[in-house]
Amino acid sequence: MIKFSHVSLIYPNSTTTVLEDLNLTIAEGEMVLVIGPTGSGKSSLLRLINGLVPHHTGGILAGDVSVNGLSTQMTKPGGMAHLIGIVGQNPANGFVADTVEEELAFGMEVLNLPNDVMRKRVEEVLDLLSLAPLRNRSIATLSGGEQQRVAIGAALVTHPKVLVLDEPTSALDPIAAEEVLSILHRLVHDLGLTVVIAEHKLERVIQFADRIVYINGEGVANVGTPEEILMQSPIAPPIVHLAKALGLKEIGVTVREMRRMTTHYRDIETISKIETPPTSSKVITFEKLTVSYGDTIALNGITSNIFAGDVVAVMGRNGAGKSSLLKALAGVNPPTGGSISLSGKNPFELHGKQRRETIGFIPQEPSDLLYGQSVAIECEQADRDNELSAGTTFAVLQQLVPGISTATHPRDLSEGQRLGLALSVVLSSNPSILILDEPTRGLDYQAKNELTRMLINFAASFGKAVILATHDVELVAELASRVIFIADGDIVADGSTLDVLLSSPAFAPQVAKVMSPQPWLSVKDVVAALEGLQ
Amino acid sequence: MNTTPDVITFSRKTAGVLLVASLLSAAGFLWPFFYVGENLPQTQLFFWCAVAVSFALVVVQISSQQLDAKSVALLGVLSALIAALRPLGAGAVGIEPMWFILILSARVFGPSFGFLLGMISMFVSALLTGGIGPWLGYQVFAAAWIGLLAGSLPKILRGGREIFMLIIYAIFASAAFGILMDLQFWPWALGSSTQLSYLPNGDISENVSRFITFHFATSMAWDIPRAIFTSILIAAAGKAVLSALRRTRTRAAFLQPIIFNERVK
Repeated sequence: MIKFSHVSLIYPNSTTTVLEDLNLTIAEGEMVLVIGPTGSGKSSLLRLINGLVPHHTGGILAGDVSVNGLSTQMTKPGGMAHLIGIVGQNPANGFVADTVEEELAFGMEVLNLPNDVMRKRVEEVLDLLSLAPLRNRSIATLSGGEQQRVAIGAALVTHPKVLVLDEPTSALDPIAAEEVLSILHRLVHDLGLTVVIAEHKLERVIQFADRIVYINGEGVANVGTPEEILMQSPIAPPIVHLAKALGLKEIGVTVREMRRMTTHYRDIETISKIETPPTSSKVITFEKLTVSYGDTIALNGITSNIFAGDVVAVMGRNGAGKSSLLKALAGVNPPTGGSISLSGKNPFELHGKQRRETIGFIPQEPSDLLYGQSVAIECEQADRDNELSAGTTFAVLQQLVPGISTATHPRDLSEGQRLGLALSVVLSSNPSILILDEPTRGLDYQAKNELTRMLINFAASFGKAVILATHDVELVAELASRVIFIADGDIVADGSTLDVLLSSPAFAPQVAKVMSPQPWLSVKDVVAALEGLQ
Repeated sequence: MNTTPDVITFSRKTAGVLLVASLLSAAGFLWPFFYVGENLPQTQLFFWCAVAVSFALVVVQISSQQLDAKSVALLGVLSALIAALRPLGAGAVGIEPMWFILILSARVFGPSFGFLLGMISMFVSALLTGGIGPWLGYQVFAAAWIGLLAGSLPKILRGGREIFMLIIYAIFASAAFGILMDLQFWPWALGSSTQLSYLPNGDISENVSRFITFHFATSMAWDIPRAIFTSILIAAAGKAVLSALRRTRTRAAFLQPIIFNERVK
């Protein structure tokens, strides 16, 4: 269906090859996963398929890419529109119409299909993706998972033979992600659709993939079955790391396979760890905190304390009230009721330097914090604001995301680099509380490890509080000491990470699922526990 | 060599249509000085001609394959932005933030783009503000010319000098827009009896001096604030907006070479 023969790609005004001599044939009805570190060329590979690269971007393309016999050399992206459906990273950026039905019909309007055909296909897609109850809803009011489904639907109405998705689940909670992926899985099996997908969160997609394309940073791509590729690649989901850490000969890519392989590891006496409750001081106290937008109540009178040295993960569905809580604590959105105290101070009465030294807040879109025209200017500004010696902020940034170019405009950075820059700017004022909203969107494993290390260090060695909202259970398992679980504006669970994550199977990390009923959340825990036995 | 499509540039054919449209509307503006006859002419006619020709121009441009998705998107977003800025200043004397964006966008994306942007944004903003009437055709063309000229300013200047040049241009454009708008309604504005009124069949020099007095007496209160406001915006935000627009231009990868090879090695 899709054929890459000896494909190499160089972008204009650049000397590095993004891909080098890639040979890949994707058969009809195959689901192929593209993995690789940030900036390695995953998106370029996806865009080569329908010719957006090089027709829209320019560049030198050596070799040939053809889809269903049509070469992208001869055919422009418009000529491939009936053949290939593309779903971008952020579905909201691709929507044209206001309601679900109109959005689904739009692609067919453009291809000038007759009215009766359009009606039939809209119905068909509404059923296929279980969108029928949402048909008249305004797209802006849908949740992230629903929007992603609409975007997939809009790509499917034209009956493409190939569906290309760039990180379709990175902004979704685990359950919504599952929903989107199982629909893709069904499309592959029921309709013989060919799917090419790029994704960082491997633990979510790996079980559905037939083959993996692994692009390392230097443009070299390896193609193989998930087991072959994951054995070698440094990028792997936690269960593969578990298999490696346990020294298993084979690796399993699903929880089921891994459970079968690790039975004897679980058959040991549990050593119950008695955790000493922290005796540190309260940093944040909020009481009967209520936030409402018009008639919608986002937070419904919640009360809790956060202690120094804590790393608190706020979890919950999309739209549960996580961001509202974070914004209220950071002093961005005033609450409608209740009180907040940050070491005795009201966050809404802090200004200027005093505010920077108390709260560091990184919003969902880190570029909202970045105003400079280049990375260098941004770092110099942070040094000046906080009276640090020149280069301090940049040194932190170097540590966080090595190899960042100083002349780049902050908005041209990759998602992970941008987060790193925002984080180093915020950390330069040395705040006593750090608040992060969904910091791991678009981060690869390496950047996530670095972030985890930095945050644990920050909280533990300086006795400061870190609060983060996230969907990423694997990150929570590695990083957080405490989890607050929010549903519909109420706190449903508040306790140590171990208790909260193990009590709900949907939110349990992979290692915990494999090792259940043992109370181990991460590879590190397993290794430590097994070593303790010997 | 193949390249990605350029940002809108008029072909000869389009430039020809543009010339006809401009001459028509120039006639619409300047007729008071040359007109000979008993009754005042139906200038509505100029309005409809100019609007018809301008639409023909847009259609020609769109159907001639040169306009690719990226240009359409840029034109659409910037027009919407300018149109949305227009009601902000409605009612306040000369506070019209739209000129600032129009001038800077035209500067970055060139004369042809500036022409279309001025035309479309003025038209769309008229729909938003309900400002549709005989004057719309004139406004559309005045804005289009301001965009065209802003895009034709010398390319080499950068940094402080560039901002300075743009401020000078903004003052000129603000005054020119005021003069053109006065010109289209002056013959009807005062009746026929005052010393500043249009004198049908009169001497050109007599009419010009009457018009200039009329313009200075009535509209300076609009032109000067408009010039000052636009200049302040350019001085304050010009550098940042220009760099954002230039970055967009780079990211959109206009006119980048596309090369297909057999093999690299």
